[in-house]
Amino acid sequence: MRGYFAWVGIIILCCCPYAGRAQQDLSQLFADSTAAHLPVLATFKGTTLVNLQTSKTLHAHDLLFIVGHRFGDFAGSNGGGKTFFGMDAISDVLIGFEYGISNRLTAGIGRDKGAPNGVSEFQTQLFYLTGKYQLLNQTADGHTPFTLALFARGIFIAAQRQAIPASNIDFQQFGDRWSASLQFLLARKFSESFSAELVPTYLYRALTTPQDPHQLFALGAGFRLKINKRMALIADYVQPFRNAASSNYYKQQFNQHFYPPIGIGWEVETGGHVFHIEFTNATSILENQFIPNTTTSWTKGQFRWGFNLTRTFTLSKGAAAEWKQ
Amino acid sequence: MIAFLRSILFLSVALPLAFHPSHRLYRPTSDRPIADILICRNAHISFYSPAPIEDIKAETDQAVSALNTANGSLYFKVMIRSFTFRRSLMQEHFNEDFMESDRYPYAEFKGNVLQMPDLSKDGNYPVQVQGTLTIHGVSKNYTVPATLTVKNKQVSGHAVFLVKLADHHIQIPRLLMKDIAEQVQVTVDATYSVDNNAQTDKGA
Repeated sequence: MRGYFAWVGIIILCCCPYAGRAQQDLSQLFADSTAAHLPVLATFKGTTLVNLQTSKTLHAHDLLFIVGHRFGDFAGSNGGGKTFFGMDAISDVLIGFEYGISNRLTAGIGRDKGAPNGVSEFQTQLFYLTGKYQLLNQTADGHTPFTLALFARGIFIAAQRQAIPASNIDFQQFGDRWSASLQFLLARKFSESFSAELVPTYLYRALTTPQDPHQLFALGAGFRLKINKRMALIADYVQPFRNAASSNYYKQQFNQHFYPPIGIGWEVETGGHVFHIEFTNATSILENQFIPNTTTSWTKGQFRWGFNLTRTFTLSKGAAAEWKQ
Repeated sequence: MIAFLRSILFLSVALPLAFHPSHRLYRPTSDRPIADILICRNAHISFYSPAPIEDIKAETDQAVSALNTANGSLYFKVMIRSFTFRRSLMQEHFNEDFMESDRYPYAEFKGNVLQMPDLSKDGNYPVQVQGTLTIHGVSKNYTVPATLTVKNKQVSGHAVFLVKLADHHIQIPRLLMKDIAEQVQVTVDATYSVDNNAQTDKGA
């Protein structure tokens, strides 16, 4: 008799699903239609972290207006109350535009004050052109596990030549006025709220002071951590690989130490604007200055307020005409 | 006696299994033809919301739909990422902040056309559609007016209805509140055809 009940149980189990299937489920017709490899959304919201570029390229035909600012030392011998914690002293200012030629390719142009410091005293009035091309885009399904972009910046130093020997302002020819940086931006959105990137960097400066290398490699790293839908914490770090001979030379001759630029900031995004309020020990905004020549240290209070704000303008009009009301 | 009971019980399990409509070997010939099921793989869905600074509009033609003309059951499914906006930045916000489309990639409607008209003749048929709409992972029952149109034996459907964002727990960050209305007008258009793929094993 026990076997009989077992059979009854099996029958009931077998028949139950049938009741539901009597009404055909139309959704089954589209069970096979799965999405293609969708790119992840918004690994980064801004085109920069604090000091470093991000892998973000603009949407096609978007125009980005950028204003960047670095104040003077917050504390230390040049900061404190007498400069209102650096607010009175402007170390660097950048104004620029970027334009999305396509979703993958962004071009930029801008002007930067230039922030000379202990070892690079004269190079100001910088003009630049940038290009950023997205080689790979991370996909939501993991088919492409990371985003890879290539960023290049060419910088022209417009400051007037000064005949100071062994300086980086004694331009002998037009070509001496150029600097360039080339960066791979390898980024991954690890979760909804955390993205990080690695930034191998190559730097070339045509005219440097003696013992300051023309070519320099550096490795940067940075992350963005969302606090909520609108706000995020951003931070980055760059380790320049300067040779020991050069470091020792500056230490002995000028008592100058080089420090890796470290930045930490707070990002607020509203529709169309991205604001950064940030702290960094780097005095300058462009790669040819802040990567090799940061001689200001966090531990000596030589960090500063900075901000970066961007506004996106959508210039594409074509799509609008196609709307049906 | 027990052997007899067992054989009866075995058959009562085995026979329904063998003749279940989903079974590959069971092909009803006298049943309703599969042509009762019409499908659309490029249904057009748009939504519109007036706002003080800029009207919000988006559309897609990648929605899919199926309509069973015999019993009126109706299905729609659309990938949220397929909606395009004029401003791609708005599209990014829509997916990332409002719809959270990584977590809820699809919107889905499962329902019925109430009092299904006979679609064998050309004409416009106003109908009521009732069912469950799932957006942003939150389901709600809707009953909305729609129009079925038959022209040269081709069936198409059209519906316009309002969706309240709060009904589907779609939250707008306060900084953007002024840009976005609390409800959006959704327009759906689908032109159906007989599903040729369904002949194989999709069931009746």
